[in-house]
Amino acid sequence: MSSSRSYIHLAAWLAAGLMLSSPVAAVSHDRLVLQHKGEEILLNLDELREQADVEFSFYDPYLTEEVEIRGLVFRDLLMAHLGGVPETLHFYAWDDYDVALGGWDDDNWILVTHHDGEPLSLRERGPVRLVERDYGNRDTSSLRNFNDWVWMIKRIESVP
Amino acid sequence: MKRVPHWRRHLGWLWLSLMSFTLLVLLIAYQTRWVYPEIHAYFSQAGNLTGQQLATRSRDYLQKSLDLLLVEPVDEESRHQAHFQLELAYSLFDIGLYRNEYSCTRPSLEALDAMKLQLRSGARVLPEDLRHGLLDPIRCLTEIEMHQLDRRSSVTAAFVEDTRRHQGQVLMGSVVIFFLGLVFWWMHERHRRRAEHATRESLEWMARALSDPLTGVGNRSALHQDVLSCVGQPKGLILVDIDYFKQYNDRLGHPDGDKLLRHLALLIDEALDGQARLYRMGGDEFAALLDCADDDVLAGHCERLVGGLREAALPHPDHPGAAIVTFSVGAARFTAGQTAFDAGYAAADQALYRVKAGGRDGWQVAQVQEVADSSNLNLESS
Repeated sequence: MSSSRSYIHLAAWLAAGLMLSSPVAAVSHDRLVLQHKGEEILLNLDELREQADVEFSFYDPYLTEEVEIRGLVFRDLLMAHLGGVPETLHFYAWDDYDVALGGWDDDNWILVTHHDGEPLSLRERGPVRLVERDYGNRDTSSLRNFNDWVWMIKRIESVP
Repeated sequence: MKRVPHWRRHLGWLWLSLMSFTLLVLLIAYQTRWVYPEIHAYFSQAGNLTGQQLATRSRDYLQKSLDLLLVEPVDEESRHQAHFQLELAYSLFDIGLYRNEYSCTRPSLEALDAMKLQLRSGARVLPEDLRHGLLDPIRCLTEIEMHQLDRRSSVTAAFVEDTRRHQGQVLMGSVVIFFLGLVFWWMHERHRRRAEHATRESLEWMARALSDPLTGVGNRSALHQDVLSCVGQPKGLILVDIDYFKQYNDRLGHPDGDKLLRHLALLIDEALDGQARLYRMGGDEFAALLDCADDDVLAGHCERLVGGLREAALPHPDHPGAAIVTFSVGAARFTAGQTAFDAGYAAADQALYRVKAGGRDGWQVAQVQEVADSSNLNLESS
């Protein structure tokens, strides 16, 4: 009896292990790709999360609530990996959205890695997304005012 | 009360006019530079994050997920892809606005979470699960889309109405400002023309006030003004007086006397070769003012003048000593200036009277020693 119970336990643990390691669970977005002058730079998202040193709370107009944000100054990240801030960047997101935007030489832009203390996942429009730390007195009821906050960033290319 | 100068009054209208047109240009610049980009920004949302409704994009991912799960067999790859689509759908669905305004949002998000959990667990997905886990959220999203579209339409209509009203106001303002500018410009132009007319009239009156109406030459005031307008310059003054003019008038009448005076003005001008300005000092006395720095030159002018008048041989029936009109001429030099002129005039007058006393029909130049335009003038008559 006790032996069969041990087998059941073992089988349960194996099932749980298989479930956790199944392809569904393994959908991982663990890298951010930077491309600059034809060269690709792969950034490990776990390392980015560890490096995230900017923390603040602000009113997120998309969530309509006050949230705790943690991330990195996007300009500093670009400086560190690209040696400068390109005039225009082309963003590619996990939902196949893509857009080219400029004006990144500004430490107001934060690459968010954590939301309310938790690492961002796709579910929270992660794994990384961009927000403005101080968006002034823009009307938060109109989301059009925040449509350059890029979500679910997968790849960033500098536009020559 | 302090009177505002005329030029300042019409400059005020000019400023108002220029300010009106400047305001008009600023208004047009404002309309072009700020208002139109705002309209453009409002309506040109295609291609950006909120260009397409988040609800629409979320619904697309749910439908893709549904497609994947409806195709048998549902293998691991399909489950993986469906789960990924559900993650994307959830992230676009989990918006504060939707949570706060649409009651179906929270149950739908919970249903999505349950569906993701089911996919991760590997359990078989039944039609009932799809209905609850996907179709209900899709219905919710459709409802949100429709409501948001309605709202967007009403907001757009209000925006268009606002813009139309704003443009109407700007247009009306522009027209008013334009006409105000025109009115101010017209006022400015009217004042300018009035000022010009007044100036012209003043000059005409001044000219009339300085001329002798009978002969057309200058009068005593003109002589003073001309002298004071060339202070410091050496001048010669010649005074001409008709001998026995009273008798001439008594015999021939004043109209003939007037003719003689007019004729005399022409004769003096001719005799001095047009080099002198002529003035009638009153009665039958004329003065000629010319540039002259030397007594001999002045004497030459006097000689030529008297000679010319004698040559004219104007008949005088009642002249006690001759049959023609004779003249007495006295002259003096001076340096232009008020005091020296007074002295020069007195000297020329004295010279004239010496000629009169000496029997008339002659000329004399007074010798003037002067200390530049001072009252210490010593007059020496020759």
